[in-house]
Amino acid sequence: MNLISAELLKLRTTALWWIFAIILVPLWGLALGFNWLTMNAALSLSEADLEEAGLGDLERLVSGLYTSGQFSGVLLVLLLSAILVTSEFFHLTATSTFLTTPRRERVIIAKMVVAVIIAVVVWLFTTVLNLALSPIVLGTMDQPTYLGEPFVWQAIGLNGLAFVLWSLLGVGAGVLIRSQIGATITLSVVYVIGTQVLSVIFVVLSEFVWEPFMDLRVLVPTFASDLLISGPQLPDDPPRWVGGVILIGYAAVMSVIGTLVTKRRDIG
Amino acid sequence: MSRPNHAEISVEHLTKQYSKVRAVDDLSFTVHAGRVTGFLGPNGAGKTTTLRMVLGLVTPTSGTATIGGVRYVDLPDPIRHVGAILEASSAHRGRSARNHLRVICRAAGLPDRRADEVLEMVGLHTVGGRKFKGYSLGMKQRLGIAAAMLGDPRVLILDEPANGLDPEGIRWMRDLLKAFAAEGRAVLVSSHLLGEMQQLADDVVIIAAGRLIRQGPVSDVLGETAGVAKVRVRTPQAEQLSAALRDAQLEVAVQPDGSLQVLGAEPARVGNVAFTAGVELHELIGEAADLERVFLELTAGKAGAR
Ligand SMILES: Nc1ncnc2c1ncn2[C@@H]1O[C@H](COP(=O)(O)OP(=O)(O)O)[C@@H](O)[C@H]1O
Ligand SMILES: [Mg+2]
Repeated sequence: MNLISAELLKLRTTALWWIFAIILVPLWGLALGFNWLTMNAALSLSEADLEEAGLGDLERLVSGLYTSGQFSGVLLVLLLSAILVTSEFFHLTATSTFLTTPRRERVIIAKMVVAVIIAVVVWLFTTVLNLALSPIVLGTMDQPTYLGEPFVWQAIGLNGLAFVLWSLLGVGAGVLIRSQIGATITLSVVYVIGTQVLSVIFVVLSEFVWEPFMDLRVLVPTFASDLLISGPQLPDDPPRWVGGVILIGYAAVMSVIGTLVTKRRDIG
Repeated sequence: MSRPNHAEISVEHLTKQYSKVRAVDDLSFTVHAGRVTGFLGPNGAGKTTTLRMVLGLVTPTSGTATIGGVRYVDLPDPIRHVGAILEASSAHRGRSARNHLRVICRAAGLPDRRADEVLEMVGLHTVGGRKFKGYSLGMKQRLGIAAAMLGDPRVLILDEPANGLDPEGIRWMRDLLKAFAAEGRAVLVSSHLLGEMQQLADDVVIIAAGRLIRQGPVSDVLGETAGVAKVRVRTPQAEQLSAALRDAQLEVAVQPDGSLQVLGAEPARVGNVAFTAGVELHELIGEAADLERVFLELTAGKAGAR
């Protein structure tokens, strides 16, 4: 408990958290607006045209609306979680931290707890905003709120799960990469364009090398995350839970390797 | 806890092999309560690496380092036993000094008010709210001391604390460390600058190239090398005096400025030889063995900077 309190104090006593909060709000607003426009466009199409335009069904659109801000929110949580670790090396505070707590795994675990707290707070924040504003947005399009539908609540819950898993992944990545700039850039690139670029690679591999490579696409963390949140998009995509398992796997493996590496590494 | 003969820090056969360098090589020494122990060696001798191994930050290749018989990582609340100020330790640039200390208090289960108490102790209480990036080097050193004092430790370990301090700051640090030792605590302080140590240390541990050169009370280490005391003489009859001194079994070297340096003799003996030889002296200076010179002699040719 002492260590969690110390880690929370570290977070509260620098400017980083509110800089991230200030970035999050407009990004969330953009996401909501984008989802609104998409839905507006979609509602003017027939069911069949919807499929063709690649927008999925109405359920997916409504779920998207109620989880607005997920893309940017997860990215910010991921980066903040990694920075919890990398800033110790960037600002040379690792020495002070590990002198106070030489059992380094305890420090990493405390950071993971704090990362999960951040994830839950950001998820709660965006979810409260979405629950307040999505019904209004839907109302402008003469749509019901859908709040009685289980699929909406499932989407919100899975959204929270994604936030938490990505935050753990962020801590693990921070430990492994250690360089603040390196970790921030790597995570941003992998998160933002990783899915597209890696999808292309997998398509090429499956075309020219071996067909089943396409199935391995789900190993890309962002793809696994999409699968978990939105469910299968193509007919031969694996089921939803596979995405969750893969993401948990990443979080677990990176956390364990990261903790072991931190325990062994020389500080200074 | 006043057990004067009990070794507070005990380093036994400590070795650290980096891929290319053996930074610390089978090093053993002890540090006792109630004394300031100077840990001396030229740059690259392995002081920082040794201190970091003692503090559990660097893993030894072999050997052990214990504090009161326990490895640092096994101490239940380490900062209540050991305070440390290391070269590369720092605080987050955007965090205030007070909050920096509070973070440590939280992690160690100490009350937040300890932060204010130690700030007062080092004279930073009026600037505790200022961000670390606005701190001068001297203030940073004071903050480092404040952090080390948080747990009211019985052992204090400092790596080159004089770096970046002005003469007044150095005097302040010296008085603080002496007072600390006078309370029966153990102080281990490293330095590559020795003039300061002579006035501060009770014991010295001298290393070079990762190996122990000498350990013991300052007076003993100085005494051991009394045999190499030097005398400088200036005379218009240098050749005559050199011959006379050599006849007296003394080692003589002509210095670039024309003076003579005589090894292994007291000024009185040199004066006597000159008098007997009827040589006129213009200057006769005994250079007492000082730590700086002893140190240079002991570590000469031991690959100082690696
Ligand atoms: N992390 C490291 N990796 C490789 N070599 C190192 C490392 N840290 C120190 N060294 C080397 O070990 C030797 C001792 O260094 P150090 O303990 O810092 O000496 P000192 O503090 O006495 O100046 C030096 O040759 C230094 O270059
Ligand atoms: Mg050093």
